[in-house]
Amino acid sequence: MRSGAKIVMEALVREGIDTIFGYPGGVVLPLYDEMLNWPQVKHVLVRHEQCAAHMADGYARATNNVGVCLATSGPGATNLVTGIANAMMDSIPMVAITGNVNTWAIGKDAFQETDIQGITIPITKHNYLVTNVDDLPGVLAEAFYLANTGRKGPVLVDIPKDVFTAMTDKPFPETVTRRGYEIPGAPAQEQVDEVARLIAEANKPVIIAGQGVLASGSMDLLRELAEKAHIPVINSLLGLGSFPRNHELSLGMMGMHGEATGTLAVQDADLVMGVGIRFDDRLTGDTNTFAKNAKIVHFDLDPSEVGKTVTPVAWVIGDLKLGLEMLVPMVEPKRHDEWVAQVKGWQEAYPLVVPEGKFLSRTVLRALNEHTKGQAIVSTDVGQHQMWTAQFYKVMKPYHFISSGGLGTMGFGFPSAMGAKFAKPDSEVWCVVGDGGFQMTLQELQTAVEYGVKVNICLLNNGYLGMVRQWQELFFDNRYSSVQMGSPDYGKLADAYGVKFFRCTRVEDLDETLRQAREFDGPTLCEFVVEMEENVYPMVPAGKDNSTVIMDPDLPKQPAGATK
Amino acid sequence: MSQQHTITALVQNEAGTINRLVSMFRRRGVSLASFNAGDCEQEGYSRLTLLVDGDESMLHQTLKQLVKLIDVVEVEDLAADHGIQRELALIRVDPNSSEVEHVKNLASEFEAKIPKETATSVFVEFTGNPKDIEKLIGALKPYNVAEVVRTGLVAMRTDSV
Ligand SMILES: Cc1ncc(C[n+]2csc(CCOP(=O)(O)OP(=O)(O)O)c2C)c(N)n1
Ligand SMILES: [Mg+2]
Repeated sequence: MRSGAKIVMEALVREGIDTIFGYPGGVVLPLYDEMLNWPQVKHVLVRHEQCAAHMADGYARATNNVGVCLATSGPGATNLVTGIANAMMDSIPMVAITGNVNTWAIGKDAFQETDIQGITIPITKHNYLVTNVDDLPGVLAEAFYLANTGRKGPVLVDIPKDVFTAMTDKPFPETVTRRGYEIPGAPAQEQVDEVARLIAEANKPVIIAGQGVLASGSMDLLRELAEKAHIPVINSLLGLGSFPRNHELSLGMMGMHGEATGTLAVQDADLVMGVGIRFDDRLTGDTNTFAKNAKIVHFDLDPSEVGKTVTPVAWVIGDLKLGLEMLVPMVEPKRHDEWVAQVKGWQEAYPLVVPEGKFLSRTVLRALNEHTKGQAIVSTDVGQHQMWTAQFYKVMKPYHFISSGGLGTMGFGFPSAMGAKFAKPDSEVWCVVGDGGFQMTLQELQTAVEYGVKVNICLLNNGYLGMVRQWQELFFDNRYSSVQMGSPDYGKLADAYGVKFFRCTRVEDLDETLRQAREFDGPTLCEFVVEMEENVYPMVPAGKDNSTVIMDPDLPKQPAGATK
Repeated sequence: MSQQHTITALVQNEAGTINRLVSMFRRRGVSLASFNAGDCEQEGYSRLTLLVDGDESMLHQTLKQLVKLIDVVEVEDLAADHGIQRELALIRVDPNSSEVEHVKNLASEFEAKIPKETATSVFVEFTGNPKDIEKLIGALKPYNVAEVVRTGLVAMRTDSV
């Protein structure tokens, strides 16, 4: 016989989890007590439960494996909610464990009772309230299984205090099966045949590769397909890292703030293959005009994504890796020299620009890319700096670009970078964050110091909620409303936490700052005081036709039909 | 084109299962005209019958989202008038004393039962498809329909079993 608390620890070890992120409280005391007997599982004590979830998320994204977070009942559990919703939107494998009040007190508005199961129903792949300790081994095994198979996602297990202390000898199941839950297997051969035919027919094909490629580990197959059939590869925000950015066929990100080339290529293409993407609105713009000259093909393992926002002519539903394994040998080697030349022409005509003579966020990020050569894990927060990082940080490796895509959660960048560093202690890890977002979760500086987490924070301080300011400038006639953002003295703040601090205000000091920060043995906070009113371009206004992409006004040449 | 669809589903009973189902409909903005859940031939499972309003693409999306829920084992879309589709209604009618016989006659025309009668009320029990229930209620209207309770639709397919 062993206790529910011990079963939780056994489950973590069985699943190969070496680090969990959490915060204690009354009802999880039995679990925290048991934890002392399990040195092989490191518990990272955060400063706010939201960050426990974001760290577990960063850990999951950097490893393509499950991240685990833990919180007490009531406010502890509700503090996890943003982090769980974030993981749900981006299909990140996560197991969140919460304590709850004793089973006999549930429903009686006991102290720190909250219906976390009810609250998280719409933002979890599945969730459980375990009221009998005999169920616990099975539920935990199933929770990990569900989180990390099929379309991945967060699973919450709510455990009342008396279930942690109750005893059982129920073993863990050898294997997990659940009636009605099937992991998608190989797609139907006819579907793959049809796509092979469409590829053979196409003269102007493009691939839009998304996070599904990373989740299924299909990076090599994607590359083989692209090279064999000579197809340019565009990425969704979360797909960055699935295709090396220095590859001659890589066009970077497309969409609202994607590079013009990818966005224009999709509008001109005759075949658009969405591979592990969900055609979200930030990518498609107006769906009626999206890829208007193309046949759309959709690869996804979740049938509910196919036809949800755009209407494909063909689809391949099933495991992406198996699907690509079937497709690649069927594709005839082919060259699309004319099309690729046309695309390269756009790249030359509409490059990303960094005006000289000013100290811009872009100046900093271009330098960060040069220093790290795209080899570091970079986790971004949300805002202008996020889009510039996606544009200028030419990520070379899978699982090295981390960003909150679907939910767009400010405050995510710093804790997720820490989660990544816990997972990959030997990798260089940078967090790129704005002055707004950093002030949402900067209390984790203390956690970084205590655990010696060598994360470099690239804080782009523009004195504004920049992304919102940009919208007010462009769409609300320059009327700035609650977007100016004061900051503390970051030098003093860093001192107070005992974090190494660098402040850089001019181009001349940029290289030296980056060099020293990278060299320093311990977490660093690098504040770059950048131009206040800098805009992210290109830009497709929300819901507009991607063809009407607004180019950077600093570009000498504007495309025909472009709005300025 | 908007129309009603009857969806049946087999679900595993767990804490929160019904909540999860209803939450999905609310979140995706799909309106549920009727929702019925009950025990079935398999222990630990329930069968549901749902009546959903919407067009074809909404229906497809709803079916896919339903199947995706972990508790949902299988889902079927029964075209209108497919299989057996039934609902039970209890109707309390408070007629004038002179009209009691009319009410009883109407009930027997519809093959409805009268499980109880009091000094002021005739209780009518009727099982049929929703259209027939509407018809019966309409016919009883002139005699003062005081209360109506309906179970919601239950459906079972009869082909390809
Ligand atoms: C939690 C949260 N609240 C509000 C927003 C809306 N929002 C999106 S970007 C942004 C501004 C971010 O400002 P900052 O962190 O300084 O980054 P910048 O855009 O200046 O680079 C805001 C407020 C959000 N995405 N997340
Ligand atoms: Mg800012």
